[in-house]
Amino acid sequence: MNKAWSVGEVNRYISNMFGQDFLLRNIAVQGEVSNCKYHTSGHIYFSLKDETGAIACVMFAGQRKGLAFRMKDGDNVIVSGSVSVYERDGRYQLYARQITLVGAGLLYEKYLALKQELEEMGMFAPQYKQPIPRVVRRLGVVTAPTGAAVQDIRNIALRRNPYVQIILYPALVQGEGAKESIVKGIQTLDKAGVDVMIVGRGGGSIEDLWAFNEECVARAVFECETPVISAVGHETDTTIIDYVADLRAPTPSAAAELAVMDVASFDQQLMQYRNRLDRDMMNVLQNKRQQLAQLKLRVTASSPENQLLQKKQYLDELSNRLQYRMQEKYTASRNRLELFIEKLNGLSPLRRLSRGYAYVEDDKGSCLTSVSQVKAGDSVKIHVTDGYIRALVQEKETIERREEN
Amino acid sequence: MQEQEKKEPTLEENFSQLEQVIRNLENREISLEDSFKEYQKGMQLIKSCSETIDRVEKKMLKISENGEYSEF
Repeated sequence: MNKAWSVGEVNRYISNMFGQDFLLRNIAVQGEVSNCKYHTSGHIYFSLKDETGAIACVMFAGQRKGLAFRMKDGDNVIVSGSVSVYERDGRYQLYARQITLVGAGLLYEKYLALKQELEEMGMFAPQYKQPIPRVVRRLGVVTAPTGAAVQDIRNIALRRNPYVQIILYPALVQGEGAKESIVKGIQTLDKAGVDVMIVGRGGGSIEDLWAFNEECVARAVFECETPVISAVGHETDTTIIDYVADLRAPTPSAAAELAVMDVASFDQQLMQYRNRLDRDMMNVLQNKRQQLAQLKLRVTASSPENQLLQKKQYLDELSNRLQYRMQEKYTASRNRLELFIEKLNGLSPLRRLSRGYAYVEDDKGSCLTSVSQVKAGDSVKIHVTDGYIRALVQEKETIERREEN
Repeated sequence: MQEQEKKEPTLEENFSQLEQVIRNLENREISLEDSFKEYQKGMQLIKSCSETIDRVEKKMLKISENGEYSEF
C-alpha cells in the first residue's frame, strides 16, 4: 500500500488478470441487445443486458462473418467471444466472435455447419455459376402456390414480359415434407426444360425458411442444369441455397426482375438500333448522291458535246481575230493607197502642163525626151493644157543638164 | 442450355454485331454495295433479336410431379 501505481499500470495488471482467466477467454453470454450501433468502420457496438445489469460488447469488422442476421435492439442473443479490458477507458467489454439469436440457436449451428461443409466441398465456387440468359422464354418457379411470392413473381415477370411462359411447380415450402417437395420441384422443372428457375418463398422466421437450408435442397440446386435464382425471404435472410444458386435475389419480386428482361425497353433498344441503321444508311446514300453529282459535273465537263462547244467557241474566236486582222490590213492598205493617190496626184502630167510644161511627141506618137530624136524639119506635136500645137523643128542644140529627181 | 447457346448467337452477341455494323456504316469510305450489305445485315440482326421473343401472351401453367401441365 506504500507504493502508488500509475493508471496504466493498474489497467494493464487487470488486463493481464482477465487474459489469464480461462473462462473469460472463451465465454458465451446470453442477453438482450441494446444501444446497437453499426459503425461505418464495420464494427458493431452494443450492450447486452438482463434485469440485473449490462455489459459493453463490440464485434469488430473482421469478425462479422460470425453474425448472419441484422441484429437490432431487443434481440435475445447469445454472444460468444472473450471478455477483456479496454485499457484506455479502464473498462472491460465482451469482444464478440459469434452472435446467434436465441431460439434459433440450434438451427443456426446446423446452418453454419452445413454451410461450412458445402463450402469446403466447393459447391459455392464461382466457376460452377451459370449465367442467367438474357432472353427467358420459359420461366420455372418452385414455390408455394398460395402466398404472396408466386403472385409477386407472376405480376413482375408478366409486367416486364407478357410473353414469358411461367411454369409453377407448386411446392410445400415449410414444415413436414417441404425439402422433398422443393427437391422434386427443382428436378421436375429441370427435366421439363425451362430457361431459368426461381426457387424460393416469401419472408418468415428462420424455422419457416429452414427447408432452404437443407442439404438435399442445396444439392438439387447445385445439380440442376438450369440456371437457378434463389429468392428466399427478405433481403436480410440468407439461406444455404443462396450460396449454391447461380444468382441470389433478395426477394421473389427481385428474382422475377432478374430473370425476366423488360420487353418494352428491349423493343425500345431494337427501335433505336433500327433508327440508327436507317439514319446511317440515309447518310451513306446522301454522300453517294453528292459524289455522283460531282462526278457527273466532271463527266459533263469532258463530254464530246462540251468539247465541241469549246472548239466552236475557239473557232469563233479565231474567226473574229482573222476578221479583225483583215480589217486592219485593209484599212492600212487603203490608207497607203490614199497616200499614193495623193502622191500621184502631185505627179499628174496635167498639173505639170498647167504649170507651163509641155509634152512633146513625134509623128509616130513617141515621147520626145532628147534632141537626138529629131532633126530639123521634123514635125512635132506639143501638148499643153487645153490642146496641142503642131510645129516644125528649126534647129536643135544639146545642153548638158544635171538630172534632178 | 449451353449447347443451344452455341448454336444460336446470344442477344449480347447480336447486339455487339449490330454495333459493328453501325460502325461499318458510319465509315465514310464504305462502298455503296457494302453499305447495302451492312444495312441488310443489321436489319436481319434486329429481326432475329426481335424474334427471340415469341409474341404470344401466355397463361401461367403449373406442372405436376409427373410433368403434366395444367393451368394455374
